[in-house]
Amino acid sequence: MVKKYTSMAYAKADDMLFGNAKFPVKAGLGLEIGAGFTTPEINYAPRPQAGKSKDKLIKEYERITTDVMARMVQIGAPSIVLETEHVEQMSNNPEWGGAVAHAQKTIMEEYHDEYGIKCALRHTIGDIREDRDYLQLRGDKYSVFLEAFEECAKNGADLLSVESMGGKEVFDYSILRNDTAGILFGIGVLGSMDMEMIWTDIAKITKKTGTVAAGDTDCAQANTAMFIAGGLLDKNLAHTTAIVARAISAGRTLCGFEAGATGPGKDCGYENTIIKSISGVPIAQEGKSSTCAHSDLMGNVTMQCCDLWSNESVEYHGEFGGTTVQCWSESLAYDCAMMNTSLKLGKGKDLRDILALSDKYRDPQGYVVSYENAYKVGQAIAKDGNNNYLRAKNAAIESCNIVEEGINSGKLRLTRFETNALAKVKADLVALTDDADKFMSESLTKYKQEVGVFRLENYGL
Amino acid sequence: MLDLKLEDIDGILVRYNVALEKEMTPDEAAEELYPKDELIYPIAKSIYEGEEDDVVDGLKAAIAAGKKPIDLINDALMVGMGVVSKLYDDGIIFLPNVMMSADAMLNGIEFCKSQTTDVPEPKGTVVCHVAEGDVHDIGKNIVAALLRAAGYDVTDLGRDVPVDEVIEAVVKDKPIMLTGTALMTTTMYAFKEINDKLLEKGLKLPFACGGGAVNQDFVAQYDLGVYGEEASDAVKIADAILASGNDIEKLRAEFHKH
Repeated sequence: MVKKYTSMAYAKADDMLFGNAKFPVKAGLGLEIGAGFTTPEINYAPRPQAGKSKDKLIKEYERITTDVMARMVQIGAPSIVLETEHVEQMSNNPEWGGAVAHAQKTIMEEYHDEYGIKCALRHTIGDIREDRDYLQLRGDKYSVFLEAFEECAKNGADLLSVESMGGKEVFDYSILRNDTAGILFGIGVLGSMDMEMIWTDIAKITKKTGTVAAGDTDCAQANTAMFIAGGLLDKNLAHTTAIVARAISAGRTLCGFEAGATGPGKDCGYENTIIKSISGVPIAQEGKSSTCAHSDLMGNVTMQCCDLWSNESVEYHGEFGGTTVQCWSESLAYDCAMMNTSLKLGKGKDLRDILALSDKYRDPQGYVVSYENAYKVGQAIAKDGNNNYLRAKNAAIESCNIVEEGINSGKLRLTRFETNALAKVKADLVALTDDADKFMSESLTKYKQEVGVFRLENYGL
Repeated sequence: MLDLKLEDIDGILVRYNVALEKEMTPDEAAEELYPKDELIYPIAKSIYEGEEDDVVDGLKAAIAAGKKPIDLINDALMVGMGVVSKLYDDGIIFLPNVMMSADAMLNGIEFCKSQTTDVPEPKGTVVCHVAEGDVHDIGKNIVAALLRAAGYDVTDLGRDVPVDEVIEAVVKDKPIMLTGTALMTTTMYAFKEINDKLLEKGLKLPFACGGGAVNQDFVAQYDLGVYGEEASDAVKIADAILASGNDIEKLRAEFHKH
């Protein structure tokens, strides 16, 4: 049984600030994350042909690592985190992932020894627990999955993460059909159950290997909603629906920290400000410097409380200014220098507010993740923290209330479609039972029937 | 926290979508597009509303009044779906509405088939797959649903599909087009292998690719590749093939936007 959060880490929203976490995390070579300064976290993907063999992959990651470390030294950056998000070949063959981690860490140690640069290596294992037709969250695939974590930890990775997929089969079906109960069930109930299982086991591995259980993100679900929602003119999904999925995801992602993770939470978790308000763990975030990977209408607001500042992902190749990892890590480092300067000058909170306000009224998603609203969603979660279903429902309703307040203020201007979608999702939520067992029972019946690939054994049911 | 004054926000962002929003509600816009035939109207409207049971009720009434089940596929179900597609293309309704309407329409087609021994003539077959090593299939599912909604037969190979299995499906089903989606850089290299094997066998058909890490530059590297930025581009590419043939260069000229 994991210990659930039922209170807030911070007494008030204004206490939250970038570069400062209530519970900083020591990691890697001389780095302490959330201890009064921000650090860039560069993330990259190998070129397509690099996946052909283990040797090619290792070479690719050696080039990437050397490029980043050299550029950080060239521009005088005091610290850097490298995040290697596994390609499937590395997680399905744990020895490959371990070999890449070893190669990368060897290079990082050389730079640390020679220049004293503080650095850490995050490996994000791929959630490989699927066969072609079904999620296979438990069983043989799970053994390989855990082995991949352990191999990376033993061979040099300092921070372990994953973007886990529990509940995605129901979520994918529901998000395309405006099915609010299904979104809540997929993320808030099934996703939470899976999170509690995997993070209990990952935390055991990190304890054994002396590494850091860094955390998860609801990339597979809330980010899918955000991605489908797109920009202002896209008509694929109401942004008001997307922010409800995001609010629900906070309760799910929090389960990782309840099961033993200590942070820094992963960059693409746009729910991370909510997580930080409840747990006090350091968080990575992405925004304007992740436009190389996707567009999300939240370029600045996400920087408001970050401890690591990331670019999400960029394919490794050449640009005029060097390789992509050199260009993007340099941009991230200058952003961090700006934040760190404001902290030294005692202007951090002003900068935080400017960052938040520059996006707050752009979109309902940015409005809700703006730190003072994120804090309110955190309170809604903590209020019923012991009940995964109720806290997800609370968060969803609170996010609807927050958006309504924004509309009523006249500052958050939405289309009729967006406000209609908001009214629909809120009505759906309010109509749901408060009885978690009843919701579970009804949902199991409904989605077993409607979603052909939904298998109860994945959740120990 | 600090806050902006209401009047200051306009200088920071423009809500172009609010400014552009149509005067008509989606329901009003749909009403203008429904066919007037009193037997067809309720079927088309039920498809727009995504009400599967009502679609079947409408079909039963039309059949009882003498309409042939097989004719109702094109004359009622596809017409209703045409209303939905137009409203989506015009930016009046959202994708989930289209998905629910597509479910209702496909349900209606199955009902029509169950009422006759005639075989409907599809517009053509499209083979869809997610690249080997990649299990992210929501994009492919949207593509397949939109193609089916537009009247195409879809062979959905699913996700994490081995290269040879894709080739076999193309040989067997003789599609007008193949689609591939991928989220990760090292899985999308499978598209290049599929392209090469198809050419080895002398199979020249448009291979429409898209998804997370896939970009136009990569797709343009292989001879059969046509890049689709949006899921709905798959239908537009298929329609263009039916209308003007499968010349890859012509398709690229039309669909490569960058």
